[in-house]
Amino acid sequence: MAPGKPILKITGMLGALVAAVLVLTGRANADRYPLDTLSPKSDLTREILWLFKEVTILDSIVLAVVVVALGLAIFVFSSRTGEPGAPSVKHSDMWLEMAWTIIPALILIAITVPTVRTIVHTQPDRWPQGALTVRVVAHQWWWEFQYPSLGVTTADEVHIPANRVVHFELVSEDVIHSFFMPAIGGKRDVVPGQVNQITLDADVPGEYWGQCTEFCGIEHADMRFRAFVDTPGDFDKWVAHQLEPPVKPDSGPAADGAKIFANAPCAICHTIKGVSGFSKEYNFGFRGPDLTHFGERTTMAGSIMDNTPENVAKWIENPDALKPGVKMPALGLSGPELSELVAYLESLK
Amino acid sequence: MAAQPRPIHIEQANYLEGGGIVGWLTTIDHKRIAILYGMSALVFMMVGGIEAMFIRAQLIVPNNTLLSPTVYNEIFTMHGLTMIFLVLMPLETGFFGNFLIPLQIGARDVAFPRLNALSYWVFILGAITLNLGWVFGSAPDAGWFGYANLTSRYYSPGPNIDFFDIGLLILGVSSVMGALNFFVTIINMRAPGMTFMRMPMFIWAVLVTVILILLAFPALTVGLIFLFMDRYFGTNYYQVIAGATPILWQHLFWIFGHPEVYIMALPAFGMISEVIPVFSRKPLFGYPMMAYSLILIAFLSYGVWGHHMFATGMGPVADSAFAITSMLIAIPTGVKVFSWIATVWGGRLRFTTSMLFAMGFLIEFTIGGLSGIMHASAPIDLEQTDSYFIVAHFHYVLFGGVLMGILAAFYYYWPKITGRMLNETLGKWHFWITAWAYNATFFPMHFIGELGMPRRIYTYAPNMGFDFWNKFESINAFILGFAFLLFFINLAWSTTNGERASSDPWDARTLEWSIPSPPPIYNFAIAPAVNSRDAWWVMKYGNVESHGLDGTAAAPPPATAAEIASIHIPAPSLFPILIALGIFSMGIGMLIAWYRMILIGAALMAFCVLSMAFEYPRWGEEDEHAVSESFLGLDMRKVGIWSFIGSECVFFASLISTYMVYKARSQGPFDAQILSIPLTSFSTFILLMSSLLMVLALAGFQRNDRFWGTFWLFGTAFFGCIFLGGQVYEFGDFWLEHGMVFNTNLFSQCFYTLVGFHGFHVFIGVVWLITMAIAGALGKIDSKRALSVEICGLYWHFVDIVWVVIFTLVYLMRTIKQA
Repeated sequence: MAPGKPILKITGMLGALVAAVLVLTGRANADRYPLDTLSPKSDLTREILWLFKEVTILDSIVLAVVVVALGLAIFVFSSRTGEPGAPSVKHSDMWLEMAWTIIPALILIAITVPTVRTIVHTQPDRWPQGALTVRVVAHQWWWEFQYPSLGVTTADEVHIPANRVVHFELVSEDVIHSFFMPAIGGKRDVVPGQVNQITLDADVPGEYWGQCTEFCGIEHADMRFRAFVDTPGDFDKWVAHQLEPPVKPDSGPAADGAKIFANAPCAICHTIKGVSGFSKEYNFGFRGPDLTHFGERTTMAGSIMDNTPENVAKWIENPDALKPGVKMPALGLSGPELSELVAYLESLK
Repeated sequence: MAAQPRPIHIEQANYLEGGGIVGWLTTIDHKRIAILYGMSALVFMMVGGIEAMFIRAQLIVPNNTLLSPTVYNEIFTMHGLTMIFLVLMPLETGFFGNFLIPLQIGARDVAFPRLNALSYWVFILGAITLNLGWVFGSAPDAGWFGYANLTSRYYSPGPNIDFFDIGLLILGVSSVMGALNFFVTIINMRAPGMTFMRMPMFIWAVLVTVILILLAFPALTVGLIFLFMDRYFGTNYYQVIAGATPILWQHLFWIFGHPEVYIMALPAFGMISEVIPVFSRKPLFGYPMMAYSLILIAFLSYGVWGHHMFATGMGPVADSAFAITSMLIAIPTGVKVFSWIATVWGGRLRFTTSMLFAMGFLIEFTIGGLSGIMHASAPIDLEQTDSYFIVAHFHYVLFGGVLMGILAAFYYYWPKITGRMLNETLGKWHFWITAWAYNATFFPMHFIGELGMPRRIYTYAPNMGFDFWNKFESINAFILGFAFLLFFINLAWSTTNGERASSDPWDARTLEWSIPSPPPIYNFAIAPAVNSRDAWWVMKYGNVESHGLDGTAAAPPPATAAEIASIHIPAPSLFPILIALGIFSMGIGMLIAWYRMILIGAALMAFCVLSMAFEYPRWGEEDEHAVSESFLGLDMRKVGIWSFIGSECVFFASLISTYMVYKARSQGPFDAQILSIPLTSFSTFILLMSSLLMVLALAGFQRNDRFWGTFWLFGTAFFGCIFLGGQVYEFGDFWLEHGMVFNTNLFSQCFYTLVGFHGFHVFIGVVWLITMAIAGALGKIDSKRALSVEICGLYWHFVDIVWVVIFTLVYLMRTIKQA
């Protein structure tokens, strides 16, 4: 290869790369991407973003220095660019070596100090009086949410009020999972045998997505959830609604569906409050999500699909086809019986 | 005296010729062993690469159904295990380390050639064990770091995790043996005049790496032993019932795991430090700081493991401490990057393929290191960990960094190893296609990681911002695979068509370039006299600072026939491969719980170890040519036993720490109150006295008093047996009288494990002592061979000291629970 070509190629490639990064990283459309980690909507994630921006800037400066220094060295001293003369054989320089030890150390201090401050600040050991406690129970492969002070239990979707400190207690029923809500909570592992915490104050009402981020078995990829930050008024309404007893349909397919639910093995795993299946002694009714107000949830089955009658039917008919390895068995329901059961479940608003 | 090799007649022109298949199976020549490692690692590189292609094929579109989650989880797990344990490590230490260490330090072979062969055979059988799962449709499937308690028998009922467990245990044995060998070699066998500060930087890197291996693998071994016990014996090391925690696995694993990534990185640093000076015609910039940085990185690497656990809820104090130490470790690493750039600066650069990969390394490793700084900040890590941002980071440091360094070393050293040049044109195509495809595959992972894509997911939903980049990455990953195909074609092509290489095709700086390519079996006809750094350069051009552009290089004088005739090299041995088969048999026996197979394997192993110990010397036929001491005056076996003891310290420290943590969490009917101080004090006293007897035995042999030497050796063994008898009695009493079995509670399992392993060490010591005593009784040991007894004594005293620690912490400082 001719003298300047490697240098031109390297510079050209780097230039193209930078341009691609600026255009295609999706930063412009971040709001469309529900798991984006750089669109904070709570105090916790805002502090994290500040740190991220600081480190990104410092990292970029260091990378630029390295790339420019190396690029220049390659460009100037390549033995094909004419006759560069004899190489210098200097192989130590105390001032230079001190500089490139001390300056990075200073940069790292500039990162470490705010890091430690943020760590301490975001892991408080006490919460204000009015804080809401939400107990998150991780199961293979779905999320359960309990509100101990309010007496509410639900699954797949968690609602929290905006502008109020929310304290999440994380417990696991089986293996290690990780509770990841990028927009509002970052993540924290859910470890069996201990209670981990996330404390946050979300301030922008909206729907945020979450996912398990610690490999937890065959269906780790399909263990997702939704987090709804409601205005305080909406949140109170939601709580009140959750506390209401489930709909008891009088007639029509839903009523027949209710009878099917009562007679099928569903109650062994699922609870519909006041209707079926709770016996802590035999773990009846607690192996699968609570279905008391299933009909009003937007997603189902670990938030991998929308809650529509078609999806519910497909799911009940053969859960394993939609989520291979799932613990829910196919119950052998089909045809009219299946549609009635679906109608009943969707009526549970 | 050290084991003296039988002299053999040298007929071959170079190390690659002669011997046939049996020659390769019984070889103890470090160069052939290196080839075995290298060929195996290249095969596994193809396997791991194909696994990567499958991953990318599954992830090319959302909701893809090419691979079921079962298969996908096995593939990503095996991809990680293969690349780390079966490709990077064996290429760096097994292939390049083995080949180059003796050549760069001016030695004939490594310190323990048969141990070297044994390391290889154990490695390949461990690699087979790990991959055996594929044959049975149950490959390991819980990720390469297999977190408990997903790996428990309850949540992973199949044999998948057993292949993981046993496979890694076997591989760990291989790594530690190899590390011990290289450590002793570098300390003891440097050519006269090669002080530490005159060693090639690759030797520095490997020296620090093997210290890391010796002191990190035992933590993994202990973790794997606990996992094995949980899965096979129903203990609760990682189960939450009975007070245990799965986080114990994470601590043990990452205390190994973080040094492990430096075990992978440092040899590559060493390789780059060889390549860049040669192709810049300049000495390495800042040699002393480069050496100290290696040491500092290794030291700090033991203090950062918690940064893999920032999300586990260790608390703000631990999080802050690990964040600080993780930032600290960036400083010596930065020093190295800047020193390499300063080496390039002012040089006269030749862009061979090797140098191109070295330049690629500098950029890519820097990028990887900078994203590492991001994760080191714990709050940022709470968004990034377990996402594709981490996948990007470690592929940048391991692939763009370490693997590019290895590729630079391949293009540089292939002529020396095979006597053929690689095709430079094909090499340049390989580099440039890789440069594009590699960055195109892995840089976008930073983006999708920031967009929230978790790692280890077999599929993802559409319209999350992941679609375009996953497709882009997958297409470029296939191109990257093609680039590697070019590499393999180049390797194969060159073995028959490559231009024949001279001894010094690159005008290089270090001693391995002063001998023919490929090297003769004996490496150096006469030990080179070293007076400076870059010894070969100085021999050619007069001083380190010479740029070598004027005047002619001095050719090495050819060895005379008389010099060659007087060379003695070790004879091949069948025992390494047999011992490895014994270990393999034990492993498979454990896997399938077929006890007969374990016993047969153990018997084969024991028989072959004993036979190998007495294979040579023919006692009384010493070879006065053999070197057993370095110019430091240290016997190789002494350095060897001390390294082994260092490794065992970490092993016992892991067991003891677990005991101390768990005894406080233990529930159930038994605790330390069951321990009998009077009985154990007696057996402790006996064990301590046995050390005294050992001292007397050594003194006896050193003054040529064979009777008393033998007598005291038997005495030591006898006292050891009394101690063991006490242990058997104690265990029997706990088990039969009190009903405390192995898995009764945390206290019982930790107690039996800790004291049991110590007792096993005592048992091995007793066998060793009796063997030595019989040799003494047969008149085989005299004052000249008293060192063998001293080595045994060092081991015995170590086992004693460990018992003192155990007795103090477990017995004397036992907590008596209030009613």
